[in-house]
Amino acid sequence: MSKVSVIGAGNVGATAVYYIAEKNIADIVMVDVVPGMPQGKAADFMHAAPSRNYNIKIVGSNDYAEIADSDVVVMTAGMARKPGMDRMDLLKTNVNIAKQAAQAIATYAPNALVIAVSNPLDVISMVTLKESGFALKRVVGMAGILDSTRFRYFIAEKLKVLPQDVMAMVLGGHGDTMVPLPRYTSVAGFPLTELLDSATIEQLVDRTRKGGAEIVSYLKKGSAYYAPAASVAKMVEAMIKDEKRFVAASAYLRGEYGHRDIFLGVPVLLGRNGVEKIYELDLTEQEQTALDGSADAVQEGVKTLESIYTPG
Amino acid sequence: MANIAIIGVGNVGANTAFFIAEKNIGSVVMYDIQDGLAQGKALDMMEAAPIRGYQYGISGTNSVDDVADASVTVVAAGTVREPGTKRDDLFTKNAEIIDGIAQSMKGYAGTVVIATEPVDLMVMRFQEKSGLDASRVVGLGGVLDSTRLRYALSRELGITTENITATVVGRHSDQMMPLVDYSRVNGVPVSTLMDEVHLAQVLDETRNAGDLIVEMSQRSSSFYGPSAAAADVVQAIVWDTKRILPVSFVWDGQYGIAGVAMSLPTVLGFTGIERVLEPKLSQDQVQNLKTSADELTSIYAKA
Repeated sequence: MSKVSVIGAGNVGATAVYYIAEKNIADIVMVDVVPGMPQGKAADFMHAAPSRNYNIKIVGSNDYAEIADSDVVVMTAGMARKPGMDRMDLLKTNVNIAKQAAQAIATYAPNALVIAVSNPLDVISMVTLKESGFALKRVVGMAGILDSTRFRYFIAEKLKVLPQDVMAMVLGGHGDTMVPLPRYTSVAGFPLTELLDSATIEQLVDRTRKGGAEIVSYLKKGSAYYAPAASVAKMVEAMIKDEKRFVAASAYLRGEYGHRDIFLGVPVLLGRNGVEKIYELDLTEQEQTALDGSADAVQEGVKTLESIYTPG
Repeated sequence: MANIAIIGVGNVGANTAFFIAEKNIGSVVMYDIQDGLAQGKALDMMEAAPIRGYQYGISGTNSVDDVADASVTVVAAGTVREPGTKRDDLFTKNAEIIDGIAQSMKGYAGTVVIATEPVDLMVMRFQEKSGLDASRVVGLGGVLDSTRLRYALSRELGITTENITATVVGRHSDQMMPLVDYSRVNGVPVSTLMDEVHLAQVLDETRNAGDLIVEMSQRSSSFYGPSAAAADVVQAIVWDTKRILPVSFVWDGQYGIAGVAMSLPTVLGFTGIERVLEPKLSQDQVQNLKTSADELTSIYAKA
């Protein structure tokens, strides 16, 4: 049985564990700094095992050593965004948490693939990469798949079709500058542009950009976790089962789309070796400009990071 | 009382029941004229239920009255192809079987899914003889063809099938029309990920997929693919999912063609076909559809 560790047993982490358990994908370790919390949640999950037919083990711990020899580590630790709070506001707190986690992963699970989830995602991915010293393809950020799943849902809701029939590509940073691509979005193979007028598409694109904020505005005291956790579980499954899944994810670029030394949402192939391929789609000038703008926003975050960052 | 009926418990009928059970889609009643066959297969499947976790019952019957209450009926009765024969060769023989079933189902309130070959002609025949609305009689043509195309694309691209949508319209024969512009990988057109030569090979493979399986297995035609396609259509209807699947139905003016059954993408729900989606086709493609329609009309007239 493969092993997946989830660092941070908050809403996103615990819900990801739930999805992974429901599909019996791998044994799971939940790690959190709060004493007793991951142990309690893990025990609660295991009590459900007889009725949910889990044939995997779930363990909770406050000790990073428990993640030893994981195949995949999911990094969800960090503070959740509060109403009115920009993703960048989270930077300082979450960078420090990510540093510690990345060091622990390098120590205890040196062969793992890492999925970064905490926000600001593209910046946290960079910290994880630097601190772990892992090969580039072994660190990936969960963003595009979540942005795409929201865009897919909004389209399905508008057209009154099954969400499963809608496929979408959302590139760029995981923030207000993300780049949904209607041209690379389809409904049962039909280009979206044949089914909806451009004003409606623009409306859905805008709603996708603000998808995270929409949930925060409802919940007041918290942010989204069902859709983010579902996106995490999809990526974990793609890696463990070596699915060769084509998704948008935040990957380290070395010149692709004209950008380098930056984590940015692009189409990738996910399998047992992590980011096995980065696909370079043809972009129109307008799409490329939007992607460049998104990259600038991420780059700014990385600069802020450098000002507060001391490696090691 | 079952909500899904299957008429004809050969390989396609029995495997359709099996896939429906595996996905817990609904309760199934299987009917066959051969005494005990449906009952025996149903009992065999139910004895697997404790291990496989089936939540719905599967039963067998020799009384056609038992299917009347089902919301969906899959018609999988008839003979299948042998090597060296074409789907159309089955027309006369299977038309007699379809006629009997259609007549017993006049006034049926549910949706009928036709799996019997040649499927487009059988859809036309069943609809005519039963008098059911065209939106209530759907055939597995494009669903199966597009599933085969998805598989071939997935294998060639090295990308999981789940990521791939493919659209195949028209007649369920080597005249089928795979639509490259409506076939995509997570929204990205396949033509941007694959060169033309490769793509042409994949399309050829799809057109000949049914023949290839008949030739390979010698003693039977394909049934896993067709059964999976049937179960998928049943699920969309019974669960009212509004799934978009290319099924065969009698056209009423699409691309200027009427009175002939071929496949087009449709939104499927509890009332059968709820909407038809018409892809943008080139003049050549429309002409190809017209040629298929003319051929179907002339074969149909012979019986």
